Amino acid sequence: IPPLTYKVVAECSVTKARAGLMTLRHSEVNTPVFMPVGTQGTLKGILPDQLIELNCQILLGNTYHLGLRPGIETLKLAGGLHKFMGWPRAILTDSGGFQMVSLLQLAEIDEHGVNFRSPFDNSQCMLTPEHSIQIQNAIGADIMMQLDDVVKTTTTGPRVEEAMERTIRWVDRCIEAHARDDDQSLFPIVQGGLEVPLRQRCVSALMERQVRGFAVGGLSGGESKHDFWRMVDVCTGYLPRDKPRYLMGVGFAADLVVCVALGIDMFDCVFPTRTARFGCALVDSGQLNLKQPKYKMDMEPIDKDCDCSTCKRYTRSYLHHIATNESVSCSLLSIHNVAYQLRLMRIMREAIQKDEFPHFVREFMKRHFQSDPIPAWIREALAAVNIQLPADQEKKDELEEAPKAERKQEPTKSMTQPAATS
Amino acid sequence: MKFAIESITKNSGRLGQLRIREGGPELRTPLLMQTTKGGSIPWLSADVFESHVSQKPQVLQFTLSTMDQMAEALAQWNSGDRGVSDYVGFPGHLNVLLLRDPCETTPSGGNDRDIQPLFTRRGRESLTPERYMEMVASIKPDIYQGLCDADTNAESAKKRVQKSVDRTEKFMHYIYEQRGKVPSTLLAPIVGGYNTFARTQSIKHAREQPAGSYGGYILEGFHTNGLTATTVDTDKLLPIVEHCVKQLEEDKPRLLPGAFTPLTILELIAQGMDIFDTSYAYCAALNFKALTFCFVQAGEKQVPFLDVTDDANKENFSPLLKTCSCLTCQKHTRAYLHHLYKTNELLGPILLMVHNLHHYMAFFETIRETVAKDKMPELMELVRKQNGDAQVDYSIAANTKVITKATMGKGFAAAAM
Ligand SMILES: [Zn+2]
Ligand SMILES: [Zn+2]
Repeated sequence: IPPLTYKVVAECSVTKARAGLMTLRHSEVNTPVFMPVGTQGTLKGILPDQLIELNCQILLGNTYHLGLRPGIETLKLAGGLHKFMGWPRAILTDSGGFQMVSLLQLAEIDEHGVNFRSPFDNSQCMLTPEHSIQIQNAIGADIMMQLDDVVKTTTTGPRVEEAMERTIRWVDRCIEAHARDDDQSLFPIVQGGLEVPLRQRCVSALMERQVRGFAVGGLSGGESKHDFWRMVDVCTGYLPRDKPRYLMGVGFAADLVVCVALGIDMFDCVFPTRTARFGCALVDSGQLNLKQPKYKMDMEPIDKDCDCSTCKRYTRSYLHHIATNESVSCSLLSIHNVAYQLRLMRIMREAIQKDEFPHFVREFMKRHFQSDPIPAWIREALAAVNIQLPADQEKKDELEEAPKAERKQEPTKSMTQPAATS
Repeated sequence: MKFAIESITKNSGRLGQLRIREGGPELRTPLLMQTTKGGSIPWLSADVFESHVSQKPQVLQFTLSTMDQMAEALAQWNSGDRGVSDYVGFPGHLNVLLLRDPCETTPSGGNDRDIQPLFTRRGRESLTPERYMEMVASIKPDIYQGLCDADTNAESAKKRVQKSVDRTEKFMHYIYEQRGKVPSTLLAPIVGGYNTFARTQSIKHAREQPAGSYGGYILEGFHTNGLTATTVDTDKLLPIVEHCVKQLEEDKPRLLPGAFTPLTILELIAQGMDIFDTSYAYCAALNFKALTFCFVQAGEKQVPFLDVTDDANKENFSPLLKTCSCLTCQKHTRAYLHHLYKTNELLGPILLMVHNLHHYMAFFETIRETVAKDKMPELMELVRKQNGDAQVDYSIAANTKVITKATMGKGFAAAAM
């Protein structure tokens, strides 16, 4: 049996959305799926048992951090990350390249790999595609990523094409180096910046390789939302129907809904757990910053329709008092936020299976934006997959991406960037 | 509140039954209260506590220094039919309100004839008896302690000790007068440092009150909380406690907060103390120590702690304690705990607290059985020597290790060379 099988369970008759079942060595995964990020072999203050109770089926681990601590020798001795952290279900790891480039100022890329200075003794090191795969083989995740040539999403010109071509050359080196193809599935990463022809070329080149799924990279790094959705749309338009598609680093609720409509199956983002640390709870209308004085006397749960263990027991008022003061608040809000993301995905899967997805999308956008105008990019993206949203009461298109306190999330740039730790 | 003595023995202390709420559960003493911060058991959500530590009814030890800012919200909350335990996520559980957090060292100073300092996260607040009673009325705990000046320890000068007694007496005049305005049970504070005269005076003031003025005693002023309780000199502590005990009414429970070592706890129980808290388990977890001391006759030589920060754990895939049935020991390894320490991850103290509470609560189960069988001297001997020859050291050193890049694993860069 291959280590990954994927089958489409249902397809939306209007949009490109699909519900699928991905079977991995450690778990079945119902898609579309959100993967919480457990950077260092743990998800911020949540026990593995609690994640299972939330029906989390797959977690993401960061190769860069795990390679530093506990280090691959320890992971090998432990028998891999699953055993080391006591997580019986599926894991996906990134290649380490992106984090290296974003965290280490001295990282440089050439044809061999990523040059960097070791963070512990400052010596010159190089992470090659082969090394990344060796480390990921030691970690033993169900799904692993190729090392790709990462450029800023705002980069233009020949460097974008070079990165795309190099990414294709590197995937062959990764496939060659991959020693555990019977247990672990290697995903290539679609690059090509914000240029449609490059994305097309990259997809068709990667499709010639023997792979079990695809990642879409190089997005959610500060590009305009207009470019963002078009690139996603282009990629899903060319990727094969029978393999899972993973959009890296995307996790805001509205983005998830749009990208599911565009045909993406897998997502990850540090946002739900990171925002929890600052006392923020996710709800359909955006997020509640529980530190605000207005919650002091609010004796309701975060969300009365949420069935997470936090909403069952705690009021906004109590959480207001302990948020950012007592470390248990971080666990309590992380639980709720992960529960929120997983529930949103489950509701989308169910809507797709009942072929009611367009209705769900319209209702969601209404709840999410309430009296605010719906951003033009969301209207356009959804129109591209045949969902027309009702007109705003007042036309305020020029406000399209202005961040608003509370209701909307913070400016995308600072938060969609996958960061050092979640 | 109802308290009944089941048995008293000369060598093993007393066994009692405590019913805090009418219709509530009957608890047995020696009793272990759950220390809390901001109303929550440190690091553990109520869900994790109930799923992985205990489902039995607990007595939550609330502290005003970590909950004072909730008084306003609680006044509104308590106007319904739910109480403060419900507010913090533990419906149905009992609670005791103390002034000071036994988990952290209380700063010295700031005392005055008319006010008592309250050290909160936001700094020092000044508490008058009037303000204190208002807050108690808002929070509505099952039990609360009397306002007192307990800023003394073994080093305090006679004059300082006398002041703590005089100020406490003054505060308590008001509190005894006003206590009828709150439905909660009052604990009479006994202060006076290590001075027999001052302690006698403090007890006398409590015993002068009309019958039914208070339901129990709280003895303070032996240490200033946090790790200071782990290092109290029992040669000084035990005689002064014995001196107090002789003068206390027998039918009232005696509460002694603080992170005393397991051995000191046993000695205090033998002296007739009834109620303690889990701050020792907290202080150990805070400093990355897993409690591993042995309290059942097994014949194996044991050490009091496992130091999770020790690099020897890096590739040790055995549990913290082989014989332990807690979640942490069943599902996780020393190597993983060590990794969580190195990466400063929140799951580290969560898993340590699950284990330490599990271990410490089991210790108290054993204590109650031991008191019932009047076998305290044997248990003390076991805890003191851990089946070795020398007396083991239960004091907790503050963790001062700094996590540096040099202590990181080199596997990653080694592979990338
Ligand atoms: Zn919730
Ligand atoms: Zn254990």
